[in-house]
Amino acid sequence: MSNSSNNDILLAISTPPFWHCGRTIRKNSLHTLAALAPAAVLALAHWGVSAMRVMALAVLTAMITEAVCQTLMKQKLSQDNGTAAITGLMLAFLLPASAPWWIVVIGAAAAIGIGRMAFGGYGANQVSAALVGWALVFVSFPVYMDPSSSLLGSSFADPLFKAKFFGGTAVADIPLSDLLLGNQLGGLGATQTGALFLGGMYLALMGVIRWEIPCSFLIGVLLSASALHLADASLYAGPFFHIFSGSTVLAAFFLATEDSCSPHRRLPMLLYGLTGGILVMLIRTYGIYTDGAPFAVMLINLLAPMFALIRSHPFGTAPRRKGKSAGEWRSRT
Amino acid sequence: MNRFMQEFTKGLWKEIPPFRLMLGLCPVLAVTKSAESGVGMGLAVLFVLTLSNMLISLVRNFIPSKVRIACFITISATLVVAVELLMQAYTYPLYLQLGIFVPLIVVNCIILGRAEAFAAKNPVHLAIADGLGIGLGFTMSLTFLGSIREILGAGTWFGHPVMWDGFQPFTIMVEAPGAFLCLGLTLAAMNYGTHRSIMKQSRENAGNTPSACGGCRACAMGRGSDND
Repeated sequence: MSNSSNNDILLAISTPPFWHCGRTIRKNSLHTLAALAPAAVLALAHWGVSAMRVMALAVLTAMITEAVCQTLMKQKLSQDNGTAAITGLMLAFLLPASAPWWIVVIGAAAAIGIGRMAFGGYGANQVSAALVGWALVFVSFPVYMDPSSSLLGSSFADPLFKAKFFGGTAVADIPLSDLLLGNQLGGLGATQTGALFLGGMYLALMGVIRWEIPCSFLIGVLLSASALHLADASLYAGPFFHIFSGSTVLAAFFLATEDSCSPHRRLPMLLYGLTGGILVMLIRTYGIYTDGAPFAVMLINLLAPMFALIRSHPFGTAPRRKGKSAGEWRSRT
Repeated sequence: MNRFMQEFTKGLWKEIPPFRLMLGLCPVLAVTKSAESGVGMGLAVLFVLTLSNMLISLVRNFIPSKVRIACFITISATLVVAVELLMQAYTYPLYLQLGIFVPLIVVNCIILGRAEAFAAKNPVHLAIADGLGIGLGFTMSLTFLGSIREILGAGTWFGHPVMWDGFQPFTIMVEAPGAFLCLGLTLAAMNYGTHRSIMKQSRENAGNTPSACGGCRACAMGRGSDND
């Protein structure tokens, strides 16, 4: 036997997503970018060059970090499939337009480096990579990450801040159209909720994301916010306020649906989304942070393997039923 | 003496806790917020570990094996109380900083693990060497982690500012997630280094002794750890 092949990998190990229907990661990424585009355009309209700066820097840093990591890890370079760009863009969407350049760079580098490449690359991460970067900078530099204190010149207000500290009555007169058009303070893209909602619908219709997750996520927010609102309308804002303020829509359609961090059967997906929606409201109402959506998504990402155990069975087999032997190979019903 | 040195030095790198010996993670994660508390915690553990190893090794032939764990705990608890009172008397600020984690040394897995795995089976001088080595290794690791976390998270080292002006402290490093990040990345780096050296070794070995199966990684790992 030759000994030169000692270090060759004997078994090919690949990571999810495994679904295949002719679609490629690259095509999915293009659809996602297209869905994010309206929100990006609106963000530019609202914040001008500073939003452009944050988005460009985040995307560029994410792609460069991925390239550097892949070179070090001797992996094939995959910047052309656009996943790093999407991670960078989603991170930028969560940052305020006033974020200094080094926060953007640290956040994007951490998102790709620690959030994704440390686990092995695209599809191997347990928690949405963009959120890892966001959480790192959010916890480390709260002053720069708080749009209410860093965007003093803005005429908008942070609706969630108002709702948290001044009660439901303070935000009762904010028209829904204002929230939908992004006339609110927060992450530069995450607050363009109307545009993101349209983009998310497009993705769900194209089959890039599964409709169950965003749907149940929003239903979770709707139900828990309605319950709180009915209990005391002067303290807790209404359900539609909570859906269309902060980053709920971005979380529901774009962050919670990342392939490697979410379950893939219908019932687990529904429960996964529902838990996320309820967590958003719990954090917003009882937590110390004004916007709970990103944290809620990180939590349900970690719970996703647990949800995936519900009615689990090997791929290609039917779920185990009473009186039938386990793991029977049949066509899926 | 040779054996003494061997038992002493193994704790400094080959079995350095907590990176090689994954024990005592609770204080590692909780008290390494600064280099100073890392050193303090490490020294407290070093003191308790060396003395408990010595005492347990001395009485190892008298303890009935059924109640040995209770005996080990009693011995280490006595020593920990001594350390706690000493710290309260002489290094009060450090005592306040470490808080509950000083009494918790009693249930630190390193103390019990070394007592059970080493001190209860070996003569006194080797037990002392083992305690000193592992304790020093633990102090080194805690100081290392504490330094990284303090420099990044607060911009200081042992309380002295070391970063440039206008440095924004990376606060998450002194919070709980920072401990996991630091420990995980350090472990990853150390495992990577070990893996590389094993691969290199196996490549050299394979050149000399070609085996029937071609010598895959599984064998290489086994062979590497045998040679250790």
